[in-house]
Amino acid sequence: MTTLVKVTELEKVYQTGEIKFQALRGISLEIQAGDFVAIMGESGSGKSTLLHVIGGLDQPTSGSVWMAGQQLDKMNETELARFRRSEIGFVFQFFNLIENLTVRANVELPALLEDQLKKKEIRRRSEELLERLGISDQANKHPWELSGGQQQRVAIARAFINFPTLLLADEPTGNLDTSSGDEVLDILKDFNQGGQTTLMVTHAASAAKLANYVLFIRDGLIVDRMPGGNEKAIARRLIDLRQRGS
Amino acid sequence: MSAVWKKIVADLFHRRWITFLVTCTVIVSAALLTLALSTLLNLSGPYDKLFDELNSAHLWLHFKPYRVSSMDIRRIEALPGVVDSTDVQYSYFSQVTISNETRAWVDLRVIPLEPPNVHSLKVIAGRYLLPGKDEILIEKYAADTYHVAVGDMIEVTREDNTKAALPVIGIAYDPMYDTYRSNQLPSLFVSQDTFRSQFPDQDTWVWSVGLRLADPEAVDEVLDEIESMRSSEFVDTHTDWRDAKESAVFSVQLTFAFLSAFSIFAIFATILIVVSVVSSMVLSQIRQIGILKAIGFTGNQVSLLYVGQYAIISLVGAGLGFILGLILAPLPLQTITASLGTTYYPPFSFLLMGLVFLIIPGTNILAAWAAARRGAKANVIRSIATGAESPLQKPFWGTRFIEYLGAPMTIVMGFNDTFAKPIRAILTGLNLTLGVIGIVFGLTLSGTLQTYRENPALLGIVYDAFVTRQDSSDGRAQRILSQAPGVQAFYGEYRLRVKTLDGEEFLLRAVEGELSAFPFYIPEGRFFYLDTNEAIVGRGLLDWLDLEIGDSLTLTLAENDRRTETWTIVGVYPEPADAGQRMIVPLSSVLALDRHAASESYYLKVDQNVDLLKLRKYIEPDKDTDLTLTLVEEAIPSSVIFLQLAIFMLGGILVAIAVVNVFIMSLLSTQEKIRVVGILKTIGMIPFQVVVMIITSAGVLGMLAVLIGIPAGLLLTRVLLTTLSNAFGFGLVSVSVNVLVIIFLIPIIISISLLGSLIPARWASRISIVRVLRQE
Repeated sequence: MTTLVKVTELEKVYQTGEIKFQALRGISLEIQAGDFVAIMGESGSGKSTLLHVIGGLDQPTSGSVWMAGQQLDKMNETELARFRRSEIGFVFQFFNLIENLTVRANVELPALLEDQLKKKEIRRRSEELLERLGISDQANKHPWELSGGQQQRVAIARAFINFPTLLLADEPTGNLDTSSGDEVLDILKDFNQGGQTTLMVTHAASAAKLANYVLFIRDGLIVDRMPGGNEKAIARRLIDLRQRGS
Repeated sequence: MSAVWKKIVADLFHRRWITFLVTCTVIVSAALLTLALSTLLNLSGPYDKLFDELNSAHLWLHFKPYRVSSMDIRRIEALPGVVDSTDVQYSYFSQVTISNETRAWVDLRVIPLEPPNVHSLKVIAGRYLLPGKDEILIEKYAADTYHVAVGDMIEVTREDNTKAALPVIGIAYDPMYDTYRSNQLPSLFVSQDTFRSQFPDQDTWVWSVGLRLADPEAVDEVLDEIESMRSSEFVDTHTDWRDAKESAVFSVQLTFAFLSAFSIFAIFATILIVVSVVSSMVLSQIRQIGILKAIGFTGNQVSLLYVGQYAIISLVGAGLGFILGLILAPLPLQTITASLGTTYYPPFSFLLMGLVFLIIPGTNILAAWAAARRGAKANVIRSIATGAESPLQKPFWGTRFIEYLGAPMTIVMGFNDTFAKPIRAILTGLNLTLGVIGIVFGLTLSGTLQTYRENPALLGIVYDAFVTRQDSSDGRAQRILSQAPGVQAFYGEYRLRVKTLDGEEFLLRAVEGELSAFPFYIPEGRFFYLDTNEAIVGRGLLDWLDLEIGDSLTLTLAENDRRTETWTIVGVYPEPADAGQRMIVPLSSVLALDRHAASESYYLKVDQNVDLLKLRKYIEPDKDTDLTLTLVEEAIPSSVIFLQLAIFMLGGILVAIAVVNVFIMSLLSTQEKIRVVGILKTIGMIPFQVVVMIITSAGVLGMLAVLIGIPAGLLLTRVLLTTLSNAFGFGLVSVSVNVLVIIFLIPIIISISLLGSLIPARWASRISIVRVLRQE
């Protein structure tokens, strides 16, 4: 196994006027290629901040983030954008699709931003992904014409169009009903089994159980770690953490 | 009510930059409107003000020699309609030699040494007459015609043909000098002592008197009373202040047409700018309107909110803009004031203020109210979800087309953004288009002025110089001119006062000679054939007599209606005098009316490199020669630069407003789609691509504005100028434009548009993705 992501002594401080808020307090972790890692914690615990910093959406206050041999915290905005485009796929709770573009255009968008790729190749990839995710018949529709589950599938297809090294999913089932949520998780698991490294932030033990292991965050620190698979055990550990914290 | 007020204050102060920029737009719009209205309301203001300042006479009576007595004058002054008079003024028609070379017939007039109570003169150069000195004050029109400057010497011919040289010590403007009255000689003013010493024989003096009337419009009634005082006619000619004013005003007719076009366009542009800015501003806040309705605001409260905001902004803006407009107001009128030799600051007027404060806040409030009503009627959920308009579901065909052409995705998205919300795009585009129209308008007016300056034939001045004769016969004059060095061609002219069968009098120009060598500009119809009874006429005459090309006109001499002659009108020419109320016919055709008709003045076309001294020496070999050569000066005075400045100022203001508006709209639309920008950056759009995407939208609007604005500007200028010049009796205006300049305009406007959106684009490219995502 090779280390894909290496985070060392990561700190993130948000400052609004005189008020400082420390979201991450020296987190270190490693993610191996092919891992499916879930991050759990209460609201405000720092899990989304960790995901954003690893995904190059935000810069750490101190510490370093290495991914696929590159140090993200030393990159400028343009380098980070190019890195995100080629190495990272994002799936969000609220899908974040572009409303006035069709499903196909949404999926193809990250690839089209890369000027070197040929349109035919991009079209082939998008059709393959839409087929695989069962939404090829929705290709010419707009996001508002689709159900939540279908929209999240479009977001997943978009995330995979550039064959990312790492998939980052932030509460991917948080805005879906149980059945749609399960379908989305099945898709993510399916990709992971094909070798896709995935880091997922979730509140739901039912989602976290699909991961190889689960990291628990509280007050900006990783406070526990356990293997995935057992939904009840994960839920219990989460409750324990809450009680210890209160 | 207090909730609405609190929200008004919060909106105005929370988005203080937007408030500031919209207020600036309103200020500039109000200034533009003030400028346009004050110009339009004061076109004849400089003349009227000067007339009042000088307490000028409304009616001048010039008496026949030996026919009038002091008693007659006293009886005229005692008429009920007469409130004041200049007392009798004496004059003498004398031939003078100016600066040892130009000879002319002038009216030497006596004026009091102290500026009189009635009809004083406006000294515009040098000084007024001093006691005990033999000196001359020359009237401005005479000074302009004969290029006389203060310090020049004028040689006056006495009754006994001896000469006396007098220095010119000043140039004065006489508002009652009718520049286009063919029988009014140029005036030179001297003191009573100088006059008596040069022309001691009182029997040769011509008497005249100027009258101030109780009712300035009652000139004809007073004149009837005067003429009915005696059984025999004793008034030779008279000057009506309304004719003099018309002449003074007509001398700047082209300026009037241009200024009126400028003002009318500026008024419409102002209203459209205000409506588009306010409407698009309110429409960009429909999401907020949805939220306000969701928390309990009624439709009326929402309307009140925006009406209140824009009422405050527009009242502040209108006040400051009105002051700014008043400060700038003299500029467009400089062209007129310069030609009248005066200065003029349009006065503060309650009418002007009322109009500005009615139009600017009125359009602001109406536009805000209409947009807010539209927003308040929208479905709450839909308003919150999609804002003012749902983006179009299908991409614009142009977007698909440029995508098909292989344009980069960022440009395709920017292009699509322009048309995704068409109403907003139209409102922003409208502003930019107005800017383009303004510039095209300015360039076209300027180009047209330049063309007229370079080609005076368009103004009806087809000759380089003219020669007048006194005692020499027509044959002798023509013989001299046909052999004069450097004269390519000439034609002769004889002028007759004629009248229609309805009694309408005007001046007929009967011409003969090498007419085909002169570039007569005939915008309608054709030139007449020689030896026929065909005529070409000024537009003013056609309109006055309600005639058309092809119509016939029967005329008699004004003084003698025993014989009549009929002409067929075959064309229209730009007549520069008498409000275009003149007519040109072949000299041969007037012989039936006046069998002594023979050319009295001659119009010359000279070689480009003519030796003027040699030519003058040939035509005027010695001081006693009665032929006088006068060169034609520039048809359009250099003071027209002020008009050009004003027009470019208008263009500049409109472009500045358009840039500010593009900036506001780009900022608002970027704020609206900040979530989309966040998503695009998340999936890998680099900052440069964000900038390209946003400025592409502005660039497309700029391109559309150019495509629509240039032809619209050209059309508008043509229509406005033609309409106005026709209204001023000037006839068709030949509109010219420099095509290269217009082509050069295309990249400039697109660049300006791109520039307007650059700051919002750069701001969007730097937004924190995390902050955007957290706002969900």
